[in-house]
Amino acid sequence: MNLLTTYQGQARRLTFLTMAGFILLPVAVAIWFGLTLGGGDTWSHILNNRLAPYTATTLGMLFLVAAQVLLIAVPAAWLVSRYKFPGRAIFNWALVLPLAVPGYVMAYVWAELSGVSGPFQTFIRDMTGLRARDYFFPDVYNLPGLSFVLATTLFPYVYITARAAFANQSLCTLEAARSLGASHYRTFWRVALPSARPAIVAGLALALMEAAADYGAADFLGIPTLGVGIVRAWNSFGEPATAARLALVLIAIAFAFMILEKVSRGQRGSQQTSSRWRSPEPQSLSRTNALLASAFCGVVLLVSFILPVGRLLWLSLELRAVTPDISGPLISTLLLASFGTILGLISAIALTLSGRGRSRQAGRLVTAAGYAAPGAVLALGAVLFLSSSNLSISGPFSLAILVWVYASRFTAAGSEPLQAALERAPKSLDHATRSLGATGFRRLLRVDLPLISPGLWAGLLILFVETLKELPATLMLRPFGWDTLAVEAYKYAADERLAQAVFPSLLITLAGLAPVLLLSWQMSRSRQVQ
Amino acid sequence: MTQALPLTLKDLTKRYGERTVLDSVSLTAMPGKVTMILGASGAGKSTLLRLVAGLEAPSSGAVFSGDTCLSSPKSVTPPEARQIGLVFQDFALFPNMRVTENVRFGMRGVSKQEAEAKIEKWLTTLGIAHRAEAYPHHLSGGEQQRVAIARALAANPNAIMMDEPFSGLDPANRDTVRTAALDALREANIPTLMVTHDASEALAYGDQIAVLDQGKLLQVGTPDDVFLSPQNLIVAKAFGPLEAVSASALSALWPDLAQPQSEIIYYRPEAISVSENSDGIDMTITGVQRTGSTLDLTVEHESGLSLKSRIVPVSKPEIGSVLPITVNPGLFYAF
Repeated sequence: MNLLTTYQGQARRLTFLTMAGFILLPVAVAIWFGLTLGGGDTWSHILNNRLAPYTATTLGMLFLVAAQVLLIAVPAAWLVSRYKFPGRAIFNWALVLPLAVPGYVMAYVWAELSGVSGPFQTFIRDMTGLRARDYFFPDVYNLPGLSFVLATTLFPYVYITARAAFANQSLCTLEAARSLGASHYRTFWRVALPSARPAIVAGLALALMEAAADYGAADFLGIPTLGVGIVRAWNSFGEPATAARLALVLIAIAFAFMILEKVSRGQRGSQQTSSRWRSPEPQSLSRTNALLASAFCGVVLLVSFILPVGRLLWLSLELRAVTPDISGPLISTLLLASFGTILGLISAIALTLSGRGRSRQAGRLVTAAGYAAPGAVLALGAVLFLSSSNLSISGPFSLAILVWVYASRFTAAGSEPLQAALERAPKSLDHATRSLGATGFRRLLRVDLPLISPGLWAGLLILFVETLKELPATLMLRPFGWDTLAVEAYKYAADERLAQAVFPSLLITLAGLAPVLLLSWQMSRSRQVQ
Repeated sequence: MTQALPLTLKDLTKRYGERTVLDSVSLTAMPGKVTMILGASGAGKSTLLRLVAGLEAPSSGAVFSGDTCLSSPKSVTPPEARQIGLVFQDFALFPNMRVTENVRFGMRGVSKQEAEAKIEKWLTTLGIAHRAEAYPHHLSGGEQQRVAIARALAANPNAIMMDEPFSGLDPANRDTVRTAALDALREANIPTLMVTHDASEALAYGDQIAVLDQGKLLQVGTPDDVFLSPQNLIVAKAFGPLEAVSASALSALWPDLAQPQSEIIYYRPEAISVSENSDGIDMTITGVQRTGSTLDLTVEHESGLSLKSRIVPVSKPEIGSVLPITVNPGLFYAF
């Protein structure tokens, strides 16, 4: 019995280490090349001409995104969780929807919407009779434009965490503050906001991690961020050392956000002083204030979802004649996303089940590291590895590498629902299972897999959609003839053929809606249970 | 330090749609006294506190502090402007502030030295001065509740409302915290309303008890008043087990207990005891059950009359043995 347990413990540890290595390898390779490639004069050239400007642009973009995300998401979450106003029930879940629109799609649509031939400018000209150069209209081909586009798709990360924090705040705390003479305003700033701060920081860190990983939007709008720099240095300038160094900085930034997110999340537990909560009943507002609240949430939803997705729908109906044949990319997308999903799900299951106690925490950190690493960085690690081992970057081998990169990047997204399902099981179940003599495969089939099965479908769905939306790694690694929908949309948009980019963009967005709606539904259901 | 004004509730009524949660409640809470609001869950206790605190508007009736009207259907002074302290079952401390910052939160327009002196005074009175720099999550439940009370008192309130403040504490801790807290409240010389569903807590610690049932105020009085002279069956039942017996069967044995106007007489089991000097009426023990330090007996007379008794025995009587039984007329009620 003792020997058997030891043997099984070793098998479990081996599985865990293999899977962790499998996920970490692409990141590790990228870091290794970043530290070792190039030196001397090359290094000072990289530092002055590439690294410094790209990093400055990226940090500027992140700062602007953070400011906009906070200004949109925190007030929206506060209003929706605390007050009654017209449309509140719809805004409550609809404000999560912009997550479904990939950043690059948002960039294409807003470029079209705000362009010279877009609906706004056309309307201005029609109404005033002015010509295009007679008036000023803001465009999105600049740093503020990029940050606006990214903030509109990424603010839901903060909205979700802030709303949960505000809704879970003890109503008693807020009532106590008022009974001690604090106004609504003081209650918000001194009591509600500080105790929601860890949650807000965690959401913001996730949003900024995604913003740092963006390639498509920045490339399309012509903003030289690190993500763009990596692909450019590799594809256009043929400077692998530059690409590797840029990747190293980008990894450092992304990991900093990942660690910030973990730390803030950890703080949240200690923030609660009691387990007894009354869920706050939303308060009534005066007529004017209620209308202002509706107007704020309405404008946010309009700008971040209704206008862009409505415009995509409109254009795809209007432009049916120029819609390209996308059956080839659609098949590639489905195949690649399926392979990526299967591999991602297998590694998610293996990591979730083989981790115990501290190693389960380590497993989470490993998958989070893969998730934090931008696609361009992982792809770079892969191509550097392939070229340094004289392996071909085309053909089935690169296809396998691409699927590996997908799994490395998205296993975290797939394993979250599995972890959640596992954590719902009582702690004593493990002891009960062992005391009943269930070990090995019998335990896996009869206990562990059924236990995580409620999270399996959610994990599958999230993995599939994340893989389907992926752009930079697919762009760098896909073999000839394996263009996905995302690549197709990117190529048309890059050629200024926005009309042709519309339909693939719309398909990606609609597919992205599925997991977002699932998430929204699960959140409202868990609220009811409480 | 305080204005020492009584808190008065006049015909206070609260309806949610068709449902009347609080029905014409009138009550005066005097400064320096603890008024216990006793009732089962759903009796309207918490609603009463929320109305007094200004968290909700009454459907009719009014709340006065001295002569100042705080709440009426027409105008409600908002909670932040009425200076009524709230203490909750879950403490509701601000998790992001230290103990001193929590206590200082409600003190406005006070100089720094004055504030510090006051904070120290209340923390010392409540016996938690040594935890002044701690964050709430480092405190035990009892400590948190004492901070919550210090915080409410430091804001110089006109009255304090407490919603089951001690029920979240473990029994070992509860008595110490409760005594310290209620002493501090009496010292502050303001009216205190405290909601509880624990009759023994109300009897032991209240200066006045108001019994609430289904939104109606059934009786108000001192602990002795409500315990010894309950005005109806519900009030009597609220303070402990009650048994019923036929009035005629009982008065046949004890003519003093005759109640011409009612068929049924109620009594507490403690009213029936075994006489020490054999001057009682002989009855047979038909049941014995130990409940802690007391014994619950069932005794039967040869006339067929059966009574329940709760005694603190020296030794456990045998079933079937015959003992002299006496009664305490003060614990018999007829309604």
